[in-house]
Amino acid sequence: MEEASQDEAGLLAPRDAAASPGASPALELRNVTFTYRDAPRPALKGISLLVERGESVIVMGEGGAGKSTLCRCANGLIPHFQKGNLTGDILTFGESTRARPVHELARRVGLVFQDFESQLFSTSVELEAAFGPENFGLPRGEIARRIAESLAIAGMTGVERRAPATLSGGEKQRLAIASVLACRPELLVLDEPTTDLDPEGKRQVFEIARWLRNSSTTAPAVVMVEHETEEAAHFPRAVVMREGAIVYDGDVRALLARPEFMESQGIRPLPAAALFARLGETARPIEDADALSQLEILGYRFDRSRWEALAAGDSRRAYGHPLIEVRALSHSYDGIPALDGVDLTICEGEFVALLGQNGSGKTTLVKHFNGLMLPRAGEVRVAGADTRRQSALQLGRQVGYVFQNPDHQIFADTVREEVGFGPRNFGLAPDEVARRVTESLAAVGMEGLEEADPFSLTKGERQRIAVASALASRPKVLILDEPTTGLDYRQNVGMMELLRRLNDSGHTIIIVTHAMWVAAEYAHRAVMLSRGRVLLDAPMREAMARTDELAQAHLVAPQAVRLGAALGGVTLSVSELAACLRQ
Amino acid sequence: MQASVYLDRSTFLHRLDSRAKMAALAAFFVVALAFNHPAYAAGAWAAVLVIAAASRSLTNLWRIRALLFLLFIFAAVLWPFFVKGPTLALRLGPLVASRESLLYGLAVGLRLSAMVAAGMIFMSTTMTEELAHGLRRLGLPYAVSFALAAAVRLVPTFLGSSASVVEAQKSRGLDLESGNILARLRKHVPVLVPVFVTAIRSTDLTAMALESKGFGAHHRRTYYLELRMRPADWLCVALAVLAAGLAVYARLHGYGEVLPRL
Repeated sequence: MEEASQDEAGLLAPRDAAASPGASPALELRNVTFTYRDAPRPALKGISLLVERGESVIVMGEGGAGKSTLCRCANGLIPHFQKGNLTGDILTFGESTRARPVHELARRVGLVFQDFESQLFSTSVELEAAFGPENFGLPRGEIARRIAESLAIAGMTGVERRAPATLSGGEKQRLAIASVLACRPELLVLDEPTTDLDPEGKRQVFEIARWLRNSSTTAPAVVMVEHETEEAAHFPRAVVMREGAIVYDGDVRALLARPEFMESQGIRPLPAAALFARLGETARPIEDADALSQLEILGYRFDRSRWEALAAGDSRRAYGHPLIEVRALSHSYDGIPALDGVDLTICEGEFVALLGQNGSGKTTLVKHFNGLMLPRAGEVRVAGADTRRQSALQLGRQVGYVFQNPDHQIFADTVREEVGFGPRNFGLAPDEVARRVTESLAAVGMEGLEEADPFSLTKGERQRIAVASALASRPKVLILDEPTTGLDYRQNVGMMELLRRLNDSGHTIIIVTHAMWVAAEYAHRAVMLSRGRVLLDAPMREAMARTDELAQAHLVAPQAVRLGAALGGVTLSVSELAACLRQ
Repeated sequence: MQASVYLDRSTFLHRLDSRAKMAALAAFFVVALAFNHPAYAAGAWAAVLVIAAASRSLTNLWRIRALLFLLFIFAAVLWPFFVKGPTLALRLGPLVASRESLLYGLAVGLRLSAMVAAGMIFMSTTMTEELAHGLRRLGLPYAVSFALAAAVRLVPTFLGSSASVVEAQKSRGLDLESGNILARLRKHVPVLVPVFVTAIRSTDLTAMALESKGFGAHHRRTYYLELRMRPADWLCVALAVLAAGLAVYARLHGYGEVLPRL
């Protein structure tokens, strides 16, 4: 219905050449190998790939697999902008990209990056969308048409005069997509467009991708790099990359039916398919309803007594004294309330997940825990003492804070110096600093890397260095803001297993996260914020059953939780669910 | 944090062509620099306030109040000891200031801060795209005018990332507030390195995003924003030229000075 009405509005003008039989493909790579200048190994190794006009492809794979390099090959940034050694042929619409500069290729190939902040540079939303058409010298009337068209596809009609800086993350990324669509590309490449977004922002970007996929033949071909397995199911074709090579290219459903293979490629397997693999069944359902009916056909029933044993396990967890006590805390930025009467107590040994959309007040709240912000209304006590009466140094030793982006703190030449920064600031003796560095590198599984240059490490390793840096001060509580954002599945699991070990050894852990399955599998308690208020504060198993509150915060329970709940009780992971099923 | 300087309002000044505003700003600088009597400089400040109020950009002047105040104080305190005048007014050990040099310092402080304030009004009422387009029409190559405009746009972004770096390092016990100047400078290394690394990375990405949207594709770029010199714009230019001319003429005839030849 929606497609028809959008098309009637003339949002996508017909293109003569598009999708006509025998036309050259949108993108073709023939045996492409590329090595970045000064890099020891090639980023792409002999890749061949064919994307037809109007086709949609999702590209998946672990960090460092060459996905971004592939994207940059498609619009000529490689080899024109990023230098290196390129062999093989890259053709867009039948023409080699070597022959044309990037800004010429931009007429037909659009590229959207993960980092939306760096892509936006205009004063208003409409001027952002106008930028491409202006560069191509289109007449003013046509530019106005392109602005209206692209903003409509991105769902941004009505905010033409807003400054991009005032938009939410999701809106910024949709604007970045609109500004590329305004050039009317015939091939649209999206490089991890949803990685930095909250669930609501992700949903909106996926909606644009879905619209482009389903709209008429005039829509561009879409190549999208994405980690969200559940979204992948909507694409017809998947490409999996590893170490610069393509290791899978074919039907998405056939890929999702191989959870072990996906896991071995550093991609999160689809929970429903993983469940059936674990049960030893051959069926590989994808949607919830399909999984539930297949389970019924196969004669599985939910073992309530086993589930009750799991739930009883939750309530046996014992916690110590209150460590962080928040009373009637309120805060506002320029008159806009960010926190509105928050009450919260976190005890020693807890593992808490703070959930909620961007702007719900999560970060403002945790910044009060280590004294980066001091309460103006209400009170925050850490280890019994008011934060307003403790110095930043005192608080810093008790509360470790790991920021979302490790690159906002890494500065030293060696890992040893980097991790020892906190303890040195707290005035510890050199031999004690050395002991702390060894101990915390061991805790994050990076012993032996003391002399490595932190800038040369992978994103996952840099994130671990950031955790080690916080641990080195031996804090009572560790706060992590989005600890898994930008990590692939393998790194993600590694990070969370690390936090689980730290929690088991007595550390109190607080994570701020958008990844619902991460929260469900690892944290013991959910605190959900919405518009600066605590919407829900409950043990994880109970919280995941509260669908009304989840919906109110625009959150969706992960598939393993949904399936368990439909069968008889909330299960927090695939292994829990499998344990509760009996044939 | 407010990340842009431009205020989206619809006032007479917002509607003026950016070239007319550039002419007016240049004329204002000439007028401000022409006189070194504090009464005249105060007059220039009064004009700034009237224009700021009329263009509803007083909020932005308020945002840079600290900068304006510091500029004024530095000039007003330091200048009297560097120029000489006939009437002795103050002696602080080896430092001597005259009545004229005190007034001169006052005037320099006022006119410096007034010029910065006028520039702020210009940026509050002119989009960077209008500025770039205007400069292009005045003959600057597009790449140069775009770079100038983009630099203005990048400052708030840069400040934003610096703020998160400072927070991250403070959480690791970095204390930027104590110690002598040298110690403090050294302490800024853990802040400066990540700030520059992320800035370089993000400018690199911005450059790639620009290229990917066809920056420089067509030898005749078009503009969505229309720039047209209307009668009001020509009137503004004429008034600007007249004001600058009159100011120079008046000064040459000895008006508005406490000290000659300065």
